[in-house]
Amino acid sequence: MLFNSLDFAVFLPLVFILYWFVFKRWLSAQNGLLLVASYVFYAWWDWRFLGLIVFSTLVDYAVARGLVKAEKSQKRKLLLGISLICNLGLLGFFKYYNFFVDSWVDAWGRLGVSLSAQTLSIILPVGISFYTFQTLSYTIDVYRKQLKPTTSMIQFATYVAFFPQLVAGPIERAKQLLPQFATPRVFNSEFAIGGVSLIIWGLFKKMVVADNCAFFVNQLFAGSGGYSSAELFLGAVLFAFQIYGDFSGYSDIAIGVARLFGFRLMTNFAFPYFSRDIAEFWRRWHISLSTWFRDYVYIPLGGSRGSKWLQIRNVLVVFIVSGFWHGANWTFIVWGGLHALLFLPLLLQQKNRQYIQETRIQLYQLPRILYTFVVVCFAWVFFRADSLSLAWAMLEDVLSFQSVTLQVFYHSSKSVLLSAITVFSILVLLFYEYRAVQNNQREVILTPYEAVFIAILLVFMGVYKNPADFIYFQF
Amino acid sequence: MRLFLKHIGFVLLLFIGVSSAIAYGSLWALRQGSFYKPSFLERQVASSSFDYIVLGSSTGLTTLNTQVIDSVLGTQGINLSMDDTALSSQYLMLQHFLGSGKQTPVCILAASILDYDVTDPVLSGNDYRFLPYGSEGYVQAYYDSFSDDSAWILSNSNWFPMLGVGYFNVELFYPSLVSLIEPNKRNRFDAYGNYSYPTTTQVSRPIVLRHGKTLQFKNPYFKKIQDLCAVNDITLLVYIPPHKTLAVSTGFTSFSVINHSDLLQDGLYFYDDFHVNGL
Repeated sequence: MLFNSLDFAVFLPLVFILYWFVFKRWLSAQNGLLLVASYVFYAWWDWRFLGLIVFSTLVDYAVARGLVKAEKSQKRKLLLGISLICNLGLLGFFKYYNFFVDSWVDAWGRLGVSLSAQTLSIILPVGISFYTFQTLSYTIDVYRKQLKPTTSMIQFATYVAFFPQLVAGPIERAKQLLPQFATPRVFNSEFAIGGVSLIIWGLFKKMVVADNCAFFVNQLFAGSGGYSSAELFLGAVLFAFQIYGDFSGYSDIAIGVARLFGFRLMTNFAFPYFSRDIAEFWRRWHISLSTWFRDYVYIPLGGSRGSKWLQIRNVLVVFIVSGFWHGANWTFIVWGGLHALLFLPLLLQQKNRQYIQETRIQLYQLPRILYTFVVVCFAWVFFRADSLSLAWAMLEDVLSFQSVTLQVFYHSSKSVLLSAITVFSILVLLFYEYRAVQNNQREVILTPYEAVFIAILLVFMGVYKNPADFIYFQF
Repeated sequence: MRLFLKHIGFVLLLFIGVSSAIAYGSLWALRQGSFYKPSFLERQVASSSFDYIVLGSSTGLTTLNTQVIDSVLGTQGINLSMDDTALSSQYLMLQHFLGSGKQTPVCILAASILDYDVTDPVLSGNDYRFLPYGSEGYVQAYYDSFSDDSAWILSNSNWFPMLGVGYFNVELFYPSLVSLIEPNKRNRFDAYGNYSYPTTTQVSRPIVLRHGKTLQFKNPYFKKIQDLCAVNDITLLVYIPPHKTLAVSTGFTSFSVINHSDLLQDGLYFYDDFHVNGL
């Protein structure tokens, strides 16, 4: 079920009413309702893959229970290994099997050895990268004795499948979210009102900003050539806003929906395009994933301790793995690698934490913000392009400065109209985000009149007939 | 909870109120302008009696130029064809024409040849153009007769217009702003309802092969058009426009057919397989 669908518009109020009016005084029934609702939400897309979620849930629940009883280090490692193999095995099979087979055959082919291998027609289960990382964090935390495992199967299953964040995050840590399922819920109006405001803002980012950008991005990244340097550069800029509106919009809706049920999810995006360097960008972009990699990959590898070479290795590993998490394509690996190269100079000069305290931005910092945005846009070209060769070709065309015509934005009356809507919607986005940054807020907060204004823009500027899929569903 | 419901209620009511007002205004503006054919027929076409009308899709729109026909025959006709529409839309247009109090003794039907044998018609891509007249019984009944999401939205827009105007915002809301500023602005048709596709080539390319296609006229809306014409004493004439790759035959029919499917022998005259160009 999609957040921007009529189905969800019926589903959400129905679950809300049952949750707060029918099962109000019965915690386990509220959790049970959320679990059933979450499974329905997921099954709406494809019920066959529900089994994977149930499997992952059962494995990690059992492993965690086993870890409590196991005292010997060897047995504890074995149990952790079972969880890692099951979760990463599922992820590896559904997401990376064909990539590894193709890359293997391709590598031998380059050495002159011709191999034939069978690739499989595999459908990627929506959200698998998100919920496997979520359950993994639970098992690892229990293994590290940083978290006491839950004794309630229903609570754990609901934590894994919680529908607001099931298919595209935020990737919630068990430490943060699981205890909330054990706590009796009290309806907090202010909290819920903030949730509705976030839902409206998230829908605006997705349906107005991202989906209008998609109209041009799909043309410019189609690889058909014939576009000017200026058009292709703007294509990368528009993709930056598309993916941001799409993904952060989904996160905002998820956080807002969770608040309606009394749950607090972590902030996943904190205005990343106002970052003054790449290090700050990664503290503001997909925070739940970057902190996951920090805690479960980077720090165990040694983090920023040790020699310079070790630090460089750790950074490279984390960024490349992070890129690979996004998809089974070399384009994502290069994207991750590029960010590592942009980040390393800051780390080596110990400048990677210089804006941690300073959240408000100053006018003189504008060139730094623009520079960071432009390099992020160049990296997005690899993220969006279907292949490395297409990405290179596009970058070559951009950097050749062959022409500055912008015809794609005005060649028909529809293009002119959509250009105007796109520019206006981006300006609205930047206005509200700038205000939030200057007010030291972690999210955009709308007054009632502003919420109505944004909702009206949503109606008259949103894309309804052929909306683009949420980009992060494919990850 | 009470505070939450009060707040959400306020936001929701204000939002629905303002959006509905904008949507009503938008449909009103479209009715005052000539941007699409339905309102063009009502607002800009002064005459109420025509010697003939042309109904059709883009093939009718671009093939039969009523200005040329009238200059030769000394008649008065109007082209009511709309691009990206099917026989169902042409039936609706005929109802709209008659519902506007206008009359004609001859109706020339120049629909897409692929549409005559569709047995399970669906809502056409441009049927939203009748939404400004959604309160008319025949428009409402038309939308109600289909079952897909777009039809549901259009059908319910009669009492909740922000549904349709929002869903088709690029096609309805922004054109309504154009209609407000420039009421006589027409969307790709002239004062007689005609439109020509541009000439893309000047090179002569003789057509040597056309595949055969026989029309059965199985589309249920064809029968509806026939019946509506019969009730209103209108002679129905089916016009089959020139086609670049198909030679159409119709067999024996109880209505008149002018078959020009293989009339043109040079690709020079075609914009694409289905449409002739301005030459």
